[in-house]
Amino acid sequence: MKRVVVPALFVLPCLTVLAIFIYWPIFYSFYLSLHDVNLLSGRQRFVGAENFVDLALDDGFHRSVAITATFVIASVPLRLALALFLAQLLVAERPANRVLRGVFFLPYVSSTVAIAVVWSWLFNTDLGLINLTIGALGGSPQNWLYDADTALYAVAAVNVWKQLGYDMVIFIAGLQAISPTLYEAARIDGASRLHQFRTITLPLLTPTLLFLLVISVIDSFQVFTLVNVMTHGGPALSTDVIVNFFYRLAFVRLDYGSASAVVIALFLFLLGLTILQFGVLGRKVSYDLD
Amino acid sequence: MTLIDLRVAARQTVRERPRLSIPWATVVAIPLAVLFAVPMLYAVYVSLLDQSDLMSATPDFWPPNIDNYLTAWSEHPFARYFFNSIIVCGAITIGSMITSIMAAYVFARVDMPGRNILFMAVVATLMVPTHITLVPNYLTMAGFGLRNTYWALILPFLASGFAAFFLRQHFKTIPKEVEEAAKLDGAGHWRLLWTIIVPMSRPAIAAIAVFIFLSEWNSYIWPLIVTDTDDMRTVEIGLARLFAEEQEGGINNWPMIMAAAVTILIPPTIVFFFAERYLVSGITMGGNR
Repeated sequence: MKRVVVPALFVLPCLTVLAIFIYWPIFYSFYLSLHDVNLLSGRQRFVGAENFVDLALDDGFHRSVAITATFVIASVPLRLALALFLAQLLVAERPANRVLRGVFFLPYVSSTVAIAVVWSWLFNTDLGLINLTIGALGGSPQNWLYDADTALYAVAAVNVWKQLGYDMVIFIAGLQAISPTLYEAARIDGASRLHQFRTITLPLLTPTLLFLLVISVIDSFQVFTLVNVMTHGGPALSTDVIVNFFYRLAFVRLDYGSASAVVIALFLFLLGLTILQFGVLGRKVSYDLD
Repeated sequence: MTLIDLRVAARQTVRERPRLSIPWATVVAIPLAVLFAVPMLYAVYVSLLDQSDLMSATPDFWPPNIDNYLTAWSEHPFARYFFNSIIVCGAITIGSMITSIMAAYVFARVDMPGRNILFMAVVATLMVPTHITLVPNYLTMAGFGLRNTYWALILPFLASGFAAFFLRQHFKTIPKEVEEAAKLDGAGHWRLLWTIIVPMSRPAIAAIAVFIFLSEWNSYIWPLIVTDTDDMRTVEIGLARLFAEEQEGGINNWPMIMAAAVTILIPPTIVFFFAERYLVSGITMGGNR
């Protein structure tokens, strides 16, 4: 008996917290998404799939999905391409490289709000460094965060700047796992650097690339802090990404039913992506459970 | 052995470690790194200016002016925000490390019926986006009257599927033999864990602890939802509010705003400098999960 009791007590705190603050909320979110919740009267009415149907027909939600998709497309490929380039430059274990990696990695672990504030200043129309630079080069200044045509891309650029270091570190680990003898052999055969990259690096880096692709799509789909601080979803809702749409529904309009439908839809979509990663894309799930 | 293999072998004996990249790669990277660091450096520079210098073509930088820092800290309760963030991040880091270490120990080293199912239940939480938990957790906290308390900020994060998973993978690599002597002495699980397994896993534990601390320092949407008093706000929320107020009020004292942002960037930067090695190993392992 004691053989089971003691280990059970060991896992109990962890499982209790996860049960109360992750498993119960998932269940409760499903429940709420099927109800019309009126906070003022404390009434909850079962409405079946109505919240989901309303959402599917809601122009505002469509716009949010389109905005988020644009954000993902604007940031993810750029992020991965720049990170791979930097990883190639800094893959060797030299002291100088370690310092340089730190420079690129620092924004990833820095305070997101502080970064959003600093970049809001850089994007400032009248005094920001970006417009000053453009002006000095003879270009015409932009209204970056106050123009519905540019605000989303400005936020996406900050997201690239902040997340780049993470991708770079993962790429470096992937590159270092490739056996140097392969490059050595290719070099002897007179293969150009570009050819080596295409025939050795890219194929062997594919699992890393796919992993980063899925991870970065998943986290870009959930962008919120940068948007909330830099633009509040504006101007004219041009940066109203899905989580911001959810936030407004849940915590401004207090419409918990519809808000839960939004996150359930997001959850199922991201779960699909994760399954795609583990399944179709051929990454082995090996938790080695023996 | 083909001819190429032989040639490779010959080359390698001459040059011990074949270089993966050419030296000029580092040289190319230096200007890029400088460019990359401009936003942070510029923020520090602006935080040391007078507001009147902002408009001037030739700002009078010297001597640097630390008034902005004093203003940010005296006119806004940043000391309180910092205190709150440190309490909350500290409690979460310590608490979630303890629950994760204990769970990981069982998942890695103890035979128990149902262990694998419980482990899968813990790992599955890694796939759950935070946002799905926000409304229910908010209602739970509001229901117990815990809005604007440390409890609300801390409790939901006292366990971490990622930490439990990561530590389990690590604990599994420790050979069984190391426990034998202690077992002969009659040590139970509790003593085995804390006197043998944990001391042998310090780097892994440090990696996870740093990782958790930094992500909690960054935490935004949850504290935004469960706090609405200055007494309970964390640094992230405090800075976001200061920024929003300055913009709404049309004051835009940018040097003071930058000073506030820079102070909030200092703790993560310090942690980063001291723990980069651990942090990178933790993230790379997370990347290979």
